[in-house]
Amino acid sequence: MTLDVSLEEPLSPVPVGPVPGDLAPERRDSLLHALRHGRGLVGVVLVATVVVLGVLGPLVAPYGPTEQIKGANLLGPGAGHWLGTDELNRDILSRTLYGIRVDLVVVFAAVPVGAAAGVFLGLVTSWWTVTDVIAQRAFDLLLAFPALILGILLTAFLGPGVLTVGVVIVALEIPVFGRLVRTSVRTVREMPFVEASQVVGAGPWWVLRRHVLPNSLEPLTVQLAVSMSVAVFIEGAMSFLGLGVRPPHPSLGSLIKDGVRLLHEAPFFAVGPLAVVVALVLGLLLISQSLAEARRA
Amino acid sequence: MTRYLLSRLGSALLVTALASIGIFALIRLVPGDPVTVLAGPDATPAARDAIRAQLGLDQPFWSQYVHWLGDLARFDLGPSYKLGGDVGSLIADGALNTVVLTLFALVLAAVGAIVTSTAAVVGDRRWLNSLLSGLNTAAVAVPTFATALVLVLVFAVRFPVLPAGGTPPAGFFAQPDIALQYLLLPGIALALPAWAALTRFLTEALRTQMRQPYVTTARALGIPRRRIVLTQALRNALPSTVTVLGLQLGTLLGGAILVEAVFAWPGLGRLVEQGISARDYPVVQVLLLLSVVVFVVTQLATDVIHAWLDPRVRLNGVS
Repeated sequence: MTLDVSLEEPLSPVPVGPVPGDLAPERRDSLLHALRHGRGLVGVVLVATVVVLGVLGPLVAPYGPTEQIKGANLLGPGAGHWLGTDELNRDILSRTLYGIRVDLVVVFAAVPVGAAAGVFLGLVTSWWTVTDVIAQRAFDLLLAFPALILGILLTAFLGPGVLTVGVVIVALEIPVFGRLVRTSVRTVREMPFVEASQVVGAGPWWVLRRHVLPNSLEPLTVQLAVSMSVAVFIEGAMSFLGLGVRPPHPSLGSLIKDGVRLLHEAPFFAVGPLAVVVALVLGLLLISQSLAEARRA
Repeated sequence: MTRYLLSRLGSALLVTALASIGIFALIRLVPGDPVTVLAGPDATPAARDAIRAQLGLDQPFWSQYVHWLGDLARFDLGPSYKLGGDVGSLIADGALNTVVLTLFALVLAAVGAIVTSTAAVVGDRRWLNSLLSGLNTAAVAVPTFATALVLVLVFAVRFPVLPAGGTPPAGFFAQPDIALQYLLLPGIALALPAWAALTRFLTEALRTQMRQPYVTTARALGIPRRRIVLTQALRNALPSTVTVLGLQLGTLLGGAILVEAVFAWPGLGRLVEQGISARDYPVVQVLLLLSVVVFVVTQLATDVIHAWLDPRVRLNGVS
């Protein structure tokens, strides 16, 4: 009988629940707890309200986003038009509901894509010194451009539009998350439990995926909420400068711009869209604050 | 300290050098040709070639790049393609306006943050903390362009006490009182988010200091809380805040683009916008490089100041 057990077979660590010394699993519950109480709950409710309004927008909007209504020029808020009408006879409530959708795409698609790309690049490059130096310098380089200058530059290539705003936000978030995850890699890989894991044969991938990533989820979640609120501003600023969504299509940024331009003629124009922006940003800020607080506790 | 400085300087120079190549290449990749912009749609191929040769655009990429570096070193940036005038003087005029506005906002934000956060920690009343935290959140949650426009409408249109936009006609230094009136509204609009971020950070740093053993000792010795905050805690809380201040400068320069648009403030932000839409290569590439240099220099300066204020940083070489 021959022994058919090959000793060359690489040892791979067996997942046996939480590793002693690994702090990640227990702390995740405290983050969820923070979102169910106090400030965190208020934030979740605010963001959820805006999301529901945006998703259901086309169903509940009384008019089309670019539909012009006869005889309804710059009306104040009233029974027929809850938020009034604009100078081109369009219903502001309907335009706001459709405008939310642009921000939802930017906040819940562009930011996560940029974050995921940044986390991936940061994780992969920070293990080896050479790739780490290259990647960190590249991140420095991207961070060296102020957000709007990057926006203006990319618009010169891509032309104005929602896609451009999305690309700008992805480009902005990659270095932010890349740097953040690098700090985690540097800290976690020095911890005793990681050393123990490496002793029983864990390679770089295993350590990055099983130890570093779970332990960096907290700072990443907090940054995700912060980045999402910044993204709302960037969409607004780009639409404000004419680099975002093209008229006649509405976005929250362009609606606020029109509203404030017409503040004399229609004082209530900007109120609705501005309230939505403030609710969204405030909600995301409250979420990030409560998460950050739960981390420190 | 010297070793720490040299390593920081080395990486700063590397980033700047890479950025200059990147910017130079990127600007040439932007769709649209400056020759078309200059020559007009019905120019003959010969006329277009003449313009191309005159601008040096027929040279190979690296030759153009080295040529540009030489011009930069001599501060002889030549005429702009489209915006009119000399690139150097266009940028110098815009830079003065933007720098004055940004520094004014930075001072407003820093002074405001020191006042509000020491007040919050010294006073330490529930209503005061709620009020400041509410103001803080409001300053962060309302976009800069909205605050800027509301400020114009309230203080320049509804109650016309301050100018609605533009720069002081007599310059900033001839009549400082008039200049202040012009700076106030854009300065406040620009400073609010930075003030909020700085206050939040400084208050937290002060609270951390107040939990330190030396504060307990001082309290036990009977030194009033106000004096401990002002003479001890504030000094220890400031070094880490300087780092945040440096990062805020970048945010302020970004915000300056918006505020300049609202207040018709002829600064660098407007120049970047005009330059890119007119494909004015010479103007845009210098401006982009300038923004990178400002970022790199502020990072370097904050690291150095941080190291100077906190010996642990310069001795361990970590930041």
